[in-house]
Amino acid sequence: MSAQKKRNFKIEAFKHRVEVDPKYAEKTWKILEHAIHEIYNHNASGLSFEELYRNAYNMVLHKYGEKLYSGLVTTMTWHLKEIAKSIEAAQGGLFLEELNRKWGDHNKALQMIRDILMYMDRTFVPSNHKTPVHELGLNLWRDNIIHSHKIQTRLLDTLLDLIHRERKGEVINRGLMRNITKMLMDLGSSVYQEDFERPFLEVSASFYSGESQQFIECCDCGDYLKKAERRLNEEMERVSHYLDAKSEAKITSVVEKEMIANHMQRLVHMENSGLVNMLVDDKYEDLSRMYNLFRRVPEGFSTIRDVMTSHLRETGKQLVIDPDRLRDPVDFVQRLLDMKDKHDKIINVAFNNDKTFQNALNSSFEYFINLNNRSPEFISLYVDDKLRKGLKGVTEEDVEVVLDKVMMLFRYLQEKDVFEKYYKQHLAKRLLSGKTVSDDAERSMIVKLKTECGYQFTSKLEGMFTDMRTSQDTMQGFYASQYSEMGDGPTLAVQVLTTGSWPTQPSTPCNLPAEILSVCEKFRAYYLGTHTGRRLTWQTNMGTADIKATFGKGQKHELNVSTYQMCVLMLFNSEDCLSYKEIEQATEIPASDLKRCLQSLACVKGKNVLRKEPMSKDIAEDDAFYFNDKFTSKFIKVKIGTVVAQKESEPEKHETRQRVEEDRKPQIEAAIVRIMKSRRVLDHNSIVTEVTTQLQSRFLPNPVVIKKRIESLIEREFLERDKADRKLYRYLA
Amino acid sequence: MASGSDRVRFNVGGKIFETTATILANAGRQSMLGSLLDEFWDPRQPAGGGEYFIDRNPACFAVLLDLLRTGELHVPPNIPERLLYREALFYGLLDHVRAARWGPFDGNLLRPAASVPGRAPGDGTAIRAGPDGGCCVAHGSMVHVYDWMLEEHRPISLDYQQVNDVGYLEAQSIVVTARERLGRVEGGMGLFSSSTGELRHRFRVAHDDQVKSFTAGALSFSNSDYKIFASCKGRCNEYGIGVWDQNTGLQVDFFYEPTGCLLGDADKLQWLDGSNCLMVATLFPRTDNCFIGLLDLREKSVVWSWSDAGITTSLDDKRVVHAIAMEDGRSVCVVNQYEDLGFMDLRSNAGGVRWSSRSKLMNRKVPDEESCYPKLAAHGGQLFSSLNDGISVFCGPERVLTSTLRGSYGGSICDFSIGGDRLFALHGDENVFDVWETPPSPIF
Repeated sequence: MSAQKKRNFKIEAFKHRVEVDPKYAEKTWKILEHAIHEIYNHNASGLSFEELYRNAYNMVLHKYGEKLYSGLVTTMTWHLKEIAKSIEAAQGGLFLEELNRKWGDHNKALQMIRDILMYMDRTFVPSNHKTPVHELGLNLWRDNIIHSHKIQTRLLDTLLDLIHRERKGEVINRGLMRNITKMLMDLGSSVYQEDFERPFLEVSASFYSGESQQFIECCDCGDYLKKAERRLNEEMERVSHYLDAKSEAKITSVVEKEMIANHMQRLVHMENSGLVNMLVDDKYEDLSRMYNLFRRVPEGFSTIRDVMTSHLRETGKQLVIDPDRLRDPVDFVQRLLDMKDKHDKIINVAFNNDKTFQNALNSSFEYFINLNNRSPEFISLYVDDKLRKGLKGVTEEDVEVVLDKVMMLFRYLQEKDVFEKYYKQHLAKRLLSGKTVSDDAERSMIVKLKTECGYQFTSKLEGMFTDMRTSQDTMQGFYASQYSEMGDGPTLAVQVLTTGSWPTQPSTPCNLPAEILSVCEKFRAYYLGTHTGRRLTWQTNMGTADIKATFGKGQKHELNVSTYQMCVLMLFNSEDCLSYKEIEQATEIPASDLKRCLQSLACVKGKNVLRKEPMSKDIAEDDAFYFNDKFTSKFIKVKIGTVVAQKESEPEKHETRQRVEEDRKPQIEAAIVRIMKSRRVLDHNSIVTEVTTQLQSRFLPNPVVIKKRIESLIEREFLERDKADRKLYRYLA
Repeated sequence: MASGSDRVRFNVGGKIFETTATILANAGRQSMLGSLLDEFWDPRQPAGGGEYFIDRNPACFAVLLDLLRTGELHVPPNIPERLLYREALFYGLLDHVRAARWGPFDGNLLRPAASVPGRAPGDGTAIRAGPDGGCCVAHGSMVHVYDWMLEEHRPISLDYQQVNDVGYLEAQSIVVTARERLGRVEGGMGLFSSSTGELRHRFRVAHDDQVKSFTAGALSFSNSDYKIFASCKGRCNEYGIGVWDQNTGLQVDFFYEPTGCLLGDADKLQWLDGSNCLMVATLFPRTDNCFIGLLDLREKSVVWSWSDAGITTSLDDKRVVHAIAMEDGRSVCVVNQYEDLGFMDLRSNAGGVRWSSRSKLMNRKVPDEESCYPKLAAHGGQLFSSLNDGISVFCGPERVLTSTLRGSYGGSICDFSIGGDRLFALHGDENVFDVWETPPSPIF
């Protein structure tokens, strides 16, 4: 190097690397292109994988990756266009098979091409943001085959036609269908959805809309539901066999909408076979099917529930206001219980014990039971009946079941205090006449009422039981103390009843026969001797007596009669004939009771220990009565019942109601005072609402009554009206 | 192949190798050797003496065949690593090589594997380990990217924007947060390709549907529900934590900074999978008062927080300079400028820092002027803490010091990161980073 050159320092131009062979890339690509052709022509056996791999590697290494990639796209596209032609040419039914076969071929070819180009796929593709070979192959298939003008619609039509034929009952090649839908899914979920699923759902919708129209014209509700259920199952099965699992929700919702939701009202109200008929005929299977199908659609449940509720209310209402039913209270309640059982079973068996249905059932019962204001009385009578005789020989568990059912009805009652009144009366009768079958059952019923309504509801009922027990002790004590002096006189059994606990009517005691009176006086002396500061009154209207009577021919009978009857009969110990007036004077029994008592002694066949002149059914003031010495009976003991109305007579009912109203007044007042005491100042409407909620468990207070009570409290200066705002009340402490 | 025998013969660059199809199957279908014997290609013995001819380096083939046979990698000293890697790439066996190159991570078995000198001037900001054994180093406005072979790729250049934090979303994608440049509405956070350094996506922040420019700070990823979190500060006091979707790259949420909680300036974010919360730590010396909080982003509430406001007064007090949530999600580990470790219970709000004397590294020595503040990392139940030019490894429930890693040169460690079964430590003075890995399991 010369010095001059050294001074004129010059940067050499950058020398490009020497190109190995300008045609190198072209040649190599030709080899690879040929290989791709051979692969598509099923002629790959002559190819050397190692050589092809090395060639592809070299192209990428020498920066011909772009050429390799674009060459691949062109070659593959050309082949796919050829394939498209052959698929298009396939005749009729062979179309799908050809498509499926070519799809298999393409996948295999794609795998082999990817093997050759593996190096490109690994290095060139990611760094140049290209689509990887496999994905590229799928995209090209999608664009050139599936979206080819001639194939796209034909494919869709063929698929939809096959499905239609299968719906009509034909057998189709499910395996082929599976392969084709699998192909669509492999091409991406959007291809499956756009090119198949959406049109499939549309066609299905119109198919089922037509079919459901046809079914509903000619089938009854049960059949229709069966068919709808079958169709639904078929579609689910179809999805599991050859569609994408994600389609299931979509296709079932189409079937649900077309076959169920659109015809819901018509199905439910279908004449002779709709929901009401199913309920009436206990068609558990149909009901359960309806429940399961309707569950799938919006408002399905509410539709069933509404119809069931209105049906229940209607039938219940007819039951409770039917005058025929009112004659027999036991049957009336039994029918209510049967109805409840029937529908409970339906809800349990067919409606999956659905809570909302149970609530609907309860509210319906509550609605119609309270339509009849005698329901409390009837329910109490039903219990009375059961506890008197109905439960004889029944196991303890069964007793519990019956009582639980009654409690269920009791819960529906709004006027629980009315029930309490009647229950008290009926219980008193049972206890005093010794008619209760089982003490345990009685107590269990009281415990149930107590848990339901609280202590105060049952305290008086419990008091009655206590009285019965203490009376027994008292009687034992009485006889123990009087043993020596008693002799042969009549035996007296006294039940001492606490005033207030028992539903006693104030009654003037009748004149007792002298024999009895003396014993009574002894007892009074004994009782008042042991308990100071008490007052005893005789409830002669409630007692019973056993008397021995001797009739003509020396026939002896033991007569079981009421206290009044006993008084009357004792008169005939000294006389053979007495007029009505005489009897009335001697006994001082109230006229209505006396008439009833005489009627039972003289007018009942087989028990007529008296004879009446003139012979007639009714008792008149100028009748005369004779001792009937011709009386015969095959029984030694004869029970002479009083003619008592089991059910209350109209005036009695009125009276009870009045008493109930009277009893409610202090309760309402107490509630008002309680509320005002805590709130000090409150407006009228709020008081009414609060009082109602407080008393709801016992009865529904009438707002008018509440208003009257408020006024009464104002008069008694518990409350005052606010001076500025007349609507406000103020509590005066 | 002859029936009954699955022997395969190769002629690689003139040298004959014989092996079995079973061994080649170890290579997998995604490799050249696996595809070669695939049924799609002619399964009959190739022509020319019944051997496959491969025009490649026989010495490397021997190493790779041995790798397929034993699963172990033994490179003779006469084969440069780069040559072996290139051949492995040809056969599609690079992943096999990487898997055999080093063993599963254990802090007590680490050995220095390499020391890579950096080119950038000035202090490094951060080093992050990638999931496949690569790493990236942020310096100023550049991010240098290294793959697991420690080959440097095209760096990510941010055009004079200061890089605040980097993180691997996956092996191929790196998220970079940067300081906002004045006068531009372009945001401070982008997704870059790790192989080419290209910008792939820019993350935006919108307030009231208006795209705003912002400075992004610390980063964290949630791999359970595919979210990216970054501390953000906008120019109009929009401080808080931005949340983006990893798949779409779109902003899905923004947690605005409540008063008393420093979020927008955070030094460290950490997503806790177990409790579905994000830990945010803003620490000394960025702020005078350290704040650590746990955010529930769905409820939009701070479920746990701690601050030393009012506790520390002078500069000599113990200051929390780094914090990490432990892997069980029950406690936060913190470190002060003297490398005392401290713990805080995340399940109670009252505790405060429990400084642990047992794990103290050495007698308290005031670090010299040039040193960096300590950093912490937790991995596989082990706790790592850097001070000066070493990294301490603490093990067990008592956090006992078990190992110290010290590199050869480069000054104190300014950042380190664990990932892809490797530990990378970036030195502050000389721009060198050390790679530590666990050797493959012993033979016996």
